[in-house]
Amino acid sequence: MSEPARDPGEADLRFALVRLRYGDRLTAEQLDALRRAVETIVEQVAALRTVPLTNADEPLQRFVPFRADE
Amino acid sequence: MNPVYTPVRELAEAVRARQVSPVTLTEAFLDRLERLGPRYNAVVTVTRERALVQARRAEGEIAAGGWRGPLHGIPYGAKDLLATAGGIPTTWGAAPLRAQTFDFDATVVQRLEQAGAVLVAKLAMVELAGGMGYRQPNASFTGPGISPWGGAWSGGSSSGSGSAVSAGLVPFAIGSETWGSILSPAANCGVSGLRPTYGRVSRHGAMALCWTLDKLGPLALTADDCGLVLDAIAGPDPRDPTAAPRPFRYDAGDVPGRRFRFGVIRDVAAAAEEPVRDAFSRSLELLSRIGTVEEVTIADLPYEAITRTILMAEAASAFEEMIESGAIAGLTAPEDRFTAYARDAILAKDYIKALRLRTFVVREADRVLSSLDALVAPGRPAVASPLDQEFRSAARGNVPDVMGAIGNAAGLPAIAVPNGFTESGLPTSLQFMGRAWEENTVLAAARAWQGITDWHLRRAAVDA
Repeated sequence: MSEPARDPGEADLRFALVRLRYGDRLTAEQLDALRRAVETIVEQVAALRTVPLTNADEPLQRFVPFRADE
Repeated sequence: MNPVYTPVRELAEAVRARQVSPVTLTEAFLDRLERLGPRYNAVVTVTRERALVQARRAEGEIAAGGWRGPLHGIPYGAKDLLATAGGIPTTWGAAPLRAQTFDFDATVVQRLEQAGAVLVAKLAMVELAGGMGYRQPNASFTGPGISPWGGAWSGGSSSGSGSAVSAGLVPFAIGSETWGSILSPAANCGVSGLRPTYGRVSRHGAMALCWTLDKLGPLALTADDCGLVLDAIAGPDPRDPTAAPRPFRYDAGDVPGRRFRFGVIRDVAAAAEEPVRDAFSRSLELLSRIGTVEEVTIADLPYEAITRTILMAEAASAFEEMIESGAIAGLTAPEDRFTAYARDAILAKDYIKALRLRTFVVREADRVLSSLDALVAPGRPAVASPLDQEFRSAARGNVPDVMGAIGNAAGLPAIAVPNGFTESGLPTSLQFMGRAWEENTVLAAARAWQGITDWHLRRAAVDA
């Protein structure tokens, strides 16, 4: 597994969404903590991106059609 | 007989032989719950009225020759995320939900009632099963869960389930695990805790934290008792489509001289705390008495990032209304009041990528386990933290836990059993993790372990 590539701008953009939605109910200290939490999420997602996937690699969950009488 | 700290199997024989009455048993544990429960912040609600009705019914049935099985007349406690009818609150450990009630029993509670077990308490838990990102033991409206061992943190999120068994307040308890919530309190409280295969036990009536990760399972004094309880609660359920249509019968028969094949993931304990590493090293030597131990390698995948992404995304969705409305501001731990907002930064594509990578995880885990009876590792990488300190958590990402990440992403069964104590008297733990649906194999390994060790027989000084 290679080292994940990190783009500091990505954390900024994702954090902007969080601040937009919830900023009015948070203190500056809480916003700082949330920014760190978003940076952790971005690092986590970067780790996921290090694994190559092909078109055939499906999610584990499979959709199951439904009938109430079955 | 003194029923306290007597394993379920022995209690069952005494009840069956009418040497002890279910009412007497129930009253003894109700008394302990009321008297000692507050010391450990272990209890939300003592269900005295319901318990005595169930106990009297059990007593009558057994007197009439209608013994239902090993749980008949045996008291137990349920983590307070399992719905219970009759006006008994089901609080999910969260202050804003202190008055929440349901008009039905969770399937697990129903199954235990059918087995004749007696519900004596709803047990304390970390608020919302820890799904909001708690960092400290004090994350429940009932206060921090306290282990009878050293007064340290009981672990979470099934905190009361661990401490109540450890303090002899109940013979067994039901907990739940999304990532670590059965194994962690079992480890911190020095008891046995079984995380069944995902889908082995119906989740109907249980609080949903993560639909594809949540499992319900027992905590008890011994691995054998965990098997007895699983036998009663396992099985398909039309009300939970993820409950597998696979029958389960607990096989308690030990094959004399059976040799197990254990695997250890390379460096699995390298980042664990020193007392945990030391206990694990000693355990590996002891395990050679009941089997072989070989080092195994696993594919290089971001296991923890995969499981954590799934957990954070599903928990954010499961509690979307509570988070977006700001109701989380009423939670106990300050960090639980806002940390979940950050999860809006997880994109749909991130979650789906984690689910696609999960396919690799389940295949890799099955490849490794297909030639083994179990992988072994520390039950928890750290010992119990003091009540006033932040703890390290794999789910938060500040301590490695590849076994927990793989085991929960792949939905594999694992049991944690005591394997020693630190110099300061805190318990450490060993886990056996098996292939999907191989609960009987991990239970057999854990029984064999408890046959050559006595850590599970040690008791904290609760009654001193």
